[in-house]
Amino acid sequence: MYRNSGRRLGAAFALMLGFLMGPSGVVADALPEAVCLADPEPPAYYQIDLVPTKSVPGARMAKGVGTVTFARSPFGIAVTPEGHYEYDLAVSVEGLRPPKEGAYVVWIATPDLGTVERLGVLGEDGSVKGRVRLNKFLVVVTLEPSAETGARWTGPVALRGLSKSGYMHTMAGHGPFNQEPCANYGF
Amino acid sequence: MHLKKAFLFPLVLWLFAAPARAQHEGHGMGMTGDSLAWRMPPMDASMPMMPELMGKMPKVGPYLPSEGMDPMMFPEARPREVVAMADGDTLDLEAGFVRRTLGGRTFVMYGYNGQYPGPLLRVKKGATIVVRFSNHIEMPTTVHWHGLRLDNRFDGVPGLTQAPVASGGTFTYEVRFPDAGIYWYHPHVREDIQQDLGLYGNMLVDPPDAGYYGPVHREEVLILDDLLVDANGLMPFGEEGPNHALMGRFGNVMLVNGAPDYRLSVRKGEVVRFFLTNVANARTFNVVFGGAPVKIVASDVSKFEREEWVGSVPIAPAERYVVEVRFDTPGTVAVTNSIQAINHFRGEFYPHVDTLGLVTVADEPVAEDLGASFATLRENADVRRDIEAFRPYFDKPVDHELVLGVDVDGLPPVVMQMMAMDTLYVPPMEWNDAMPMMNWLSSAKEVRWFLRDADSGRENMDVHWTFDEGDVVKLRIFNDPKTLHPMNHPIHIHGQRFLVLAMDGVPNANLVWKDTAIVPVGSTMDVLVDLSNPGDWMLHCHIAEHLHAGMMLAFTVRPATDGTR
Repeated sequence: MYRNSGRRLGAAFALMLGFLMGPSGVVADALPEAVCLADPEPPAYYQIDLVPTKSVPGARMAKGVGTVTFARSPFGIAVTPEGHYEYDLAVSVEGLRPPKEGAYVVWIATPDLGTVERLGVLGEDGSVKGRVRLNKFLVVVTLEPSAETGARWTGPVALRGLSKSGYMHTMAGHGPFNQEPCANYGF
Repeated sequence: MHLKKAFLFPLVLWLFAAPARAQHEGHGMGMTGDSLAWRMPPMDASMPMMPELMGKMPKVGPYLPSEGMDPMMFPEARPREVVAMADGDTLDLEAGFVRRTLGGRTFVMYGYNGQYPGPLLRVKKGATIVVRFSNHIEMPTTVHWHGLRLDNRFDGVPGLTQAPVASGGTFTYEVRFPDAGIYWYHPHVREDIQQDLGLYGNMLVDPPDAGYYGPVHREEVLILDDLLVDANGLMPFGEEGPNHALMGRFGNVMLVNGAPDYRLSVRKGEVVRFFLTNVANARTFNVVFGGAPVKIVASDVSKFEREEWVGSVPIAPAERYVVEVRFDTPGTVAVTNSIQAINHFRGEFYPHVDTLGLVTVADEPVAEDLGASFATLRENADVRRDIEAFRPYFDKPVDHELVLGVDVDGLPPVVMQMMAMDTLYVPPMEWNDAMPMMNWLSSAKEVRWFLRDADSGRENMDVHWTFDEGDVVKLRIFNDPKTLHPMNHPIHIHGQRFLVLAMDGVPNANLVWKDTAIVPVGSTMDVLVDLSNPGDWMLHCHIAEHLHAGMMLAFTVRPATDGTR
C-alpha cells in the first residue's frame, strides 16, 4: 500500500520536475568532456612572502615563499588537540648566494618570539620542508655559523615573513608587521 | 525557459524556507514562554560593538515556534530510546512539540516521538524498514535519511523527491540500509529551525560480520550539538528565511545527546567505541578525550582503509566519525571541544575549551583486558577491496569543478565596509562565531551563498548535472578565498558515496567512504563519486543557514537500462 502510494507521489513529482527542470527549464547537462585543470597547489591565499633584510651581504636581492598545506590527517583538515592548525610548510628561497661559511637555517617562531622552533637547513636548491603546529607564526631565515644550531638563532636574519594569519585585521589596523600594504597581496 | 527557471528557484527556496506567518497565528495566548523579539545575540562582553550597528535588526522577522506557548502544555521530553528493528519492521515516527529543561530552564522545543534526540534505530546491514511519519509541528517538514543510499523517492527533499509534509500530514518512508555504520535523520525543511530545536536522531547499522570492528567493552552513540540561548530564552530564528546567514548559527550551550551534562562511568582499562555525529547548524567541533588514547576507525559510510591514532576528532556539521578510546587511568576525563577561537577585535587567536561531558574512570580494572587488541591498528582489507575497483578512476580528469562563494548585498554599510576591508586574512575554519553581531544581522535576504559550476558559470539550482547509474565522477571543489566573506563548507552529497582523493593536491593516503566532507577556505578538494543510486539528488553545504541561503544544487542519476550495477 505505502509502496504504491510512494510510487504515485514519485511519479507526480517527476512530472512536476519534468515541467520545472525539463529541456526548456533548468537545462540538464549530460556528462561533458572532462574539464582539464591543473593539479591544485597549496592555497595561494595562505602563501607566506619572505622578504630580505640588509643584514646579510648577498641577501638583499633574495626572495622567498612559504606554502602551507594541511598535514596529512584522516579528517582532511589537521588540527592539534589544542586546536592549532597543523601544517606542512615548504620554504623556498631564490637569489640567495651560498654562504662562504655557515648555513642558512629556517626557523618558526610565534610573533612574540616566545616559541622558537627550527624548521631545517636550506638545501642547495634553496628549499626546506617541515611541520608547523602554530596558528600565527614568523618564518625567519638566518645565517648561522654552522648547520648545527642551538634552540634559537644566533646569526643575522637574511629573510623573514609572517603567516597570513598575522595580517588578521584588528579594529585598529594590521598586525605587528604593518608595512606590507594589503594591495600588494591582491586580497 | 526563463519563466520555468524563475519558478523553480523560488519554489525550492520556499519549500526549504518558509514557515508561513499564518501557521503560527493564534499562538499568542498571553502565556509566558520564550520571548519573541529581536535582541542582540549573546557575545563576549569584552568585545566592543561597532557604534553603527547599535539598534540594527535583521531584515527578516523574528520567529519562535514557542511564541506565547506555556511549556506546561507539552510533555517533558525523555531521553532517546533504542529501537531494535528487523528487516520489514515498521516504526511510527512523530515530529512534535516537547518541553525541555536545560540547566534548570524550561524551553519549548521539538522532538521525534517525544524524545531527545529522536529514537536510536538499530538495524542490521541490508535491512529495509518502513517509517510511518506524522507531522505535529506547526511547519511543513520532511525526514531526510542522511548518508543512506536508499530509494530516491524516500530521500525527504521537498520539491525534489516529495511534497513537504504539512502540519497534521503523514508520509510513509521505506528506508533501506545498504552500508554499516552510523547515520542520522533530520528534516530537510528549515533545518536551521527544526533541526536546531531537536529534530534529529541516529541510525546505527550493524555489520553482519562480528569482527567488522575491533573488540570493545561497550559502544556509545553521541550526537554533538549546540543551542543559542540568552537570559530571555531561545534566541529567535529568522521567519522568512534564516538570519546568521554569514557564518551560521553558533550556539552557546553545548549538548551531547540533547543534554548539557553527558556522563559516563567506566572501569580502568575499558575500551569504548564512540559513534560521533555532529548535528550542529554551523559549528565544527574539535573533540578531545582528555589524554586518553584515541583510535580513528570509521567515518560516514565505511571504515578507513586502516586505523590511526589521533589526538582529536575535528568533526564538521553532518559528518560522523567512529573512534575507539581506552580509559586506562583512574579519575575523571573531560570530553572537550578544544579550539583556538578568534577575537577579531584584537586580531588574535585564543584557546577556548567547552566541556562536552565527563567520563569517570574507576580504580577497579575491567574484567577482560583488551589492551593488546586496542594497541593494534587494524588494516581493513574489506575496505581496500571495495575501493580497489575505483582506483583506475583516481587519475581521471576532473569532470566538474565547483567554486564556493557568496554574494552579499544590502547589509548595513558598516558591515559591508568591514567585510570589504577585512580580507587580508580569513581563517581556513571558523571554530567560533567571531563576529556575532554582524552574523546575527545577516539574513538570507542579503546573503546568497553559491556553488558555481566553473564550466558553465551556472549557480545553485541552475546547475543540473545528469549522470548515468554506474558513472564514477571526479568533482573538484574550490573554496574561493577571494569571495567577500569566505567560510569553510561541509559539502554533503545525497544518496551516493564518495572518496576524498586529495586536498590541495596532496593525495589522501587513507581512504574512507564519505557523504559529507569539509572544504576549508582557500582549499581545493578532489572527490570521486560512486554514482550507484539512480534518482534526483542534492549536493549542498550542510551549514543550515548556508543551505537556506541558496547553497545547493541538484543532479540526476539516470537508471542503468542494461541491468548493470
